[in-house]
Amino acid sequence: MRAWIRRWCALTGAVILTAPVLHVQGQGLRTIAIDERLGMAAGLAVGDSVRFAAMASAPSGQWVRIGAITRRSADPSEIARSEYRVRLHLDQLQSLTGVGDRIGRFAVRTQENAGAPGSASGTVAGPDSVSAAINAMAFGFRAYPAAEVAIETSATFRVVNRFHRAIGIITIVASAIFLLCITLLKVDERRREVGALRLLGLSRATVVRSVMLEASLIALLGSALGAGFGAAASAIVNWYYQGVYATPLRFALVTPEIVAIAVTLSLLLGIVSGYLAAQRLVRTAPLELVGR
Amino acid sequence: MNLTQPVLSARDLRRAYLVAGAPVEAVRGLSLDVHPGEWVAVVGPSGCGKSTLLNLLGAIDRPTSGQLLIRGRDVAVMDDAEATRFRLTGIGFVFQRFYLMPTLSAAENVELPMAEAKRPRAEREARAKELLTYVGLGARTDHRPFQLSGGEQQRVAVARALANRPALLLADEPTGELDARTGEEMIALFDRLNRDGTTIVTVTHDEELAQAARRVIHMRDGVIVDDQVRRPLESVARPA
Ligand SMILES: Nc1ncnc2c1ncn2[C@@H]1O[C@H](COP(=O)(O)OP(=O)(O)OP(=O)(O)O)[C@@H](O)[C@H]1O
Ligand SMILES: [Mg+2]
Repeated sequence: MRAWIRRWCALTGAVILTAPVLHVQGQGLRTIAIDERLGMAAGLAVGDSVRFAAMASAPSGQWVRIGAITRRSADPSEIARSEYRVRLHLDQLQSLTGVGDRIGRFAVRTQENAGAPGSASGTVAGPDSVSAAINAMAFGFRAYPAAEVAIETSATFRVVNRFHRAIGIITIVASAIFLLCITLLKVDERRREVGALRLLGLSRATVVRSVMLEASLIALLGSALGAGFGAAASAIVNWYYQGVYATPLRFALVTPEIVAIAVTLSLLLGIVSGYLAAQRLVRTAPLELVGR
Repeated sequence: MNLTQPVLSARDLRRAYLVAGAPVEAVRGLSLDVHPGEWVAVVGPSGCGKSTLLNLLGAIDRPTSGQLLIRGRDVAVMDDAEATRFRLTGIGFVFQRFYLMPTLSAAENVELPMAEAKRPRAEREARAKELLTYVGLGARTDHRPFQLSGGEQQRVAVARALANRPALLLADEPTGELDARTGEEMIALFDRLNRDGTTIVTVTHDEELAQAARRVIHMRDGVIVDDQVRRPLESVARPA
């Protein structure tokens, strides 16, 4: 059974590969790791053997066995990339490309808490000092701490984030005005009831308090429903797009802080709009409220 | 005539409305005393000022001039909060259109003025039950207004009006929304209330209601033109 695919693959070292894929018995072969997306697209699983070449036009290649399937990290900059990733042992990569001593990029992982007082070596070796040391080593080298790279790659997302925040604020302001109007209208429908209560001797304070209480309860109930709906919607969004992009990234978040903000805002809105609406009514003479 | 202190005493009461910038007097220098145990029916043509008078008597509206004492207190000088409190504890109202709270049960509607007057819950519940039983709705305490007929709703309204044991029960066209039969039941209820000691002032077009009252006052153009005591307080006895 043969299944051939042609895909551009990119390695961390920016090596371009073509992977004509062949399922054969492959004991004693060297192993590579492919990412989940490639596995899904090509129907490859751990234990499959494939022939591997640096160029699509290469007549032959090396047989390797898929030893692992890697999952991408929850990094938003990953999901938009349509390329596939393959990891192989460094010596094999060198022999495959035929440019054994050329490396475009490499990553250095510093030990956690390196440089902290009391660390084993006692030397100061945080990411910043390591990158400074590498930069000083040779001309043409440029090392960046991972945090800096992350900031750079997330610049777009920060713009998107700000944009989302603006949309959020506009939505909140618009719906606040809308809700205020609705509350005024709804409370105004109670003109006669409020008028009757006032005629019976219920004080302005009692009327205002009960209207505000009702508005707050509705606001609480509404925000609870809204939070539930938001959680359900984001679960669906996450489930769908995590499938589409084969990423553990969570696309939509409903955090306790967001729920707290939503509940607080709507409660505030309920109290304020209830107060304004009730004030409008109790300032009117009760006889006018019940109508003649 | 009557040796007791009047519950209500009005002297030269006036109430003018501004209509298109010009004052129009709806009540024009009216004087009236109502004594404890009386049942007064105010009748007269439409627009003669009956409702205006009743609203003044109930501290709902304030006179333009004149004096109005209810249980010795000057209603004309009360501010809004005082008048509201006075309505709550001193006066019971029955309106033509019932004005029950649609979301509350019959018992809760009756309890409402007592709750505002900060009566303890147990007392409220007991009194609501007692009053609803008195008006013949002892079995309907948990029913909401939409589950009750017009006559039954009006009886709940009567029970509510009596909740805080007011000195005076005021009713503006209490039979106005009721058919003839339920109207008669309502008249019988007022009669029973009055025999049991409640002082009542009703405003009405209903001839039968007026006939049942002890005293009938005819109004025209904002003044009293006729004041007749049909059944003096002494002649309480009447064939059952
Ligand atoms: N809020 C008001 N503004 C202006 N005029 C009013 C107002 N209320 C009552 N009036 C006028 O005062 C007069 C007396 O009205 P009122 O409602 O007291 O009459 P009524 O005897 O109760 O009539 P009805 O039998 O039709 O109920 C009428 O001419 C009425 O138009
Ligand atoms: Mg009237």
